[in-house]
Amino acid sequence: MSEATFMGVARDKITWHPTIDYDKCNFCMECATFCPHRVFEQREGDRRLVVANPNNCVVFCRACSKTCGPDALSFPDKPATIAQIKAIREQESVQ
Amino acid sequence: MNSAILSCTGLDKPEGSVAREVAIRMASAAGSEIICPVLLNRSLARYKKVLAENPLIVVDGCSTRCASKLAESLDLKIDRKVLVADGLKSSGLTLEPTLNLGANGLALAQTIVDGLVQSLTAPVSAVLSTAQSTEFPPPREYLVVTHDKFEFRIPTADYWFNENDVWVRPLGGVARVGISDYMQQSLTDINFVDAPAMDLTVEQFGELGTLESSKAVFEVVAPVAGTVVAVNPEVISNPTLINEDPYGKGWIVELKLGNWPEDRELLLNSDAYARSVKHKAEEA
Ligand code: SF4
Ligand code: SF4
Repeated sequence: MSEATFMGVARDKITWHPTIDYDKCNFCMECATFCPHRVFEQREGDRRLVVANPNNCVVFCRACSKTCGPDALSFPDKPATIAQIKAIREQESVQ
Repeated sequence: MNSAILSCTGLDKPEGSVAREVAIRMASAAGSEIICPVLLNRSLARYKKVLAENPLIVVDGCSTRCASKLAESLDLKIDRKVLVADGLKSSGLTLEPTLNLGANGLALAQTIVDGLVQSLTAPVSAVLSTAQSTEFPPPREYLVVTHDKFEFRIPTADYWFNENDVWVRPLGGVARVGISDYMQQSLTDINFVDAPAMDLTVEQFGELGTLESSKAVFEVVAPVAGTVVAVNPEVISNPTLINEDPYGKGWIVELKLGNWPEDRELLLNSDAYARSVKHKAEEA
């Protein structure tokens, strides 16, 4: 990714990152160990894991969810995200 | 075809109990030899003969994939795999929350067994197409991105990439799809290819199966929309071919193109992908 853009769109305009379901998560930290992009961070307190850097997440990657035994990680809908990216690209090429 | 079956012990979650039940039912439905994971872990020798003589089916309960990881740690060749959690999602059933299986758990186990028995008896041609209609010449020239002591090759022409490190090489109305040299090196030796079904239609950025190495499970994100017309039989039987020749013999699937050249708008050419690889290598 060239300086926080994805397919020519500023990364922070694209909604794509894991969401932790705290009812399911057992804080095994497999996902945090697995992801090389520092998306997750460990914290003190009850919620010992948070999605601290959502925009570090590689758009369309879902790899960490495949390491999660309790199936506690979810992602946005892909077609909706693609539509969002296409709409932004169109808007920006018009300007 | 006879088989050996290695499942999760089934003592942690209901999905595990289903995995264990699948192994037991496969023994009676298809004569599979059950491999106890705990004993296997203690004594590989005990199962040497069974493993040498039979293709191995691995049944994982959940994505922790203990059975797969055990097989990988012992360098066992896995012929096919089932993940109960995936089967559960596609079945639409709700699993009873206990380790003793309820009606839904047993029904799910039976559905998985039926699928396995069917896939063991189906002719290979129904699963993979070996007939390749088009000759795809290998890349002629490469760009090389270097980082530390690593070198990542990228074909200079004819290949397009998505940001998820998957390439597409269109030719006529079809295209081959595979993963880049950078991604095969990041994954290290690939030991299992879970290929998409023949005739599956995917949208651009949809899922075209997964690859597994000891490091990760990698989702093949479709670079283009299309319909699967062939799966490379050689990478199914020898997944490290992807590591050896990622842009040539290590292709994964062939698609009939669904929306080309429009899809190209959201892909990177060789130069743009080289910049992306450089950036990722520096970040990692
Ligand atoms: S892998 Fe799943 S259960 Fe483990 S810490 Fe991450 S979200 Fe929680
Ligand atoms: S989806 Fe991929 S990039 Fe995003 S947090 Fe998970 S592993 Fe990291």
